[in-house]
Amino acid sequence: MTMELSYDRTLHGKEHRAGPFEITADMIAAVNASLGEQGAAFSSDADAKEQGFRGMIAPPTLCSIFVREVQLPDVGLDFGRTQMHAGQRVQPIAPIYAGDRLTASSHLKDVYAKTGRSGTMVFVVWETTFRNQDGDVVAEVQESFARRE
Amino acid sequence: MPYFEDIELGDQIGPVERIATDEGVARFCDVWSPPTPNRFTDAQTARESGMTGPIVPGIMAMAMMAQLLTDWAGPDAIRDLDVVFRQPIPHNRPLTLEATITDLRQENGQNLAECDILMLGAQGERHVGGKAVVSLPSRG
Repeated sequence: MTMELSYDRTLHGKEHRAGPFEITADMIAAVNASLGEQGAAFSSDADAKEQGFRGMIAPPTLCSIFVREVQLPDVGLDFGRTQMHAGQRVQPIAPIYAGDRLTASSHLKDVYAKTGRSGTMVFVVWETTFRNQDGDVVAEVQESFARRE
Repeated sequence: MPYFEDIELGDQIGPVERIATDEGVARFCDVWSPPTPNRFTDAQTARESGMTGPIVPGIMAMAMMAQLLTDWAGPDAIRDLDVVFRQPIPHNRPLTLEATITDLRQENGQNLAECDILMLGAQGERHVGGKAVVSLPSRG
C-alpha cells in the first residue's frame, strides 16, 4: 500500500538558484589537505596539463560543498521529527577547473516513504545542477534527507 | 591506471585504510563552512545530537570514497557516485575503504565499470555503502 504523504507539492517544478561560486586553487588545495589528496591533476596546472587537462581540476565531489548555499524552502513534511542526511549522489559531467565560476540550481526531485525492519522512513530528495561560467553543466548532485517515525 | 579489458567481475579496488582526523575534518569544514558550532567539530554539539563525539561530514566521507576511485581509475573517471550514510563516522578511527566490480559494459562509446563501494569501521561497522560507475580506457 502506498503511503499518502503530506508536504508542499507546489515545490515540484520550482528552481532555487545560488552562486556564482568561484573555484579557487586555494580552495582545492585546502580540500586536498583535509583529505590527504595527492592526485597530480588536483595539485597544479603543470601536472594537470601533463594529464591532458587545460589546467588544475577540482576533485569530483567538491561542488557538493556549495549545495548548502542554495536557500531551500521547508517542504512542510508532516512526518517525523528528526532529520538526517541519508545519502548523496554526484554525477560529474565535465571537469571543474580552478578559476571556474559555478552556479547552482536546485529543485525538489522526490519525496517517498520506505518501510523496513526499523519502521517507516520518509526521504526528501533535492537535485542540484551545477553549471560553469559558459553555461555548461558540469555536475548533478542529489542529496537525500530521511525522517523517521 | 587499469584498462577495461584487464578488469573482471569481482575484482577488488582497495582495501585502503584511512583516518579522518580532527585536523582533517576541521580543515574540510573551513572550506565547507557549516554553521558553527556543529556536530562535526564540536564535541558538546555532537553529544547534544546523540553522538558520542564529533563525526565526519557525509560529504567528506563521500569525497574519501571518490578518492579511492580516482586513485584507481584517474582524476576524471567517475561518472556516478551514489552513497548511503548508514552510521555516523567517528574521527580518529581506522576506516577501511573498498570497492568490488559488479558490472562491466560499453555504453555510448565509454567502457564502464560499475562497483559496490563500502566504508567500514574497525569492528566491521558499515558506515557508508553505495554504488559507483567509472569510465576506463581501452587497450583498443
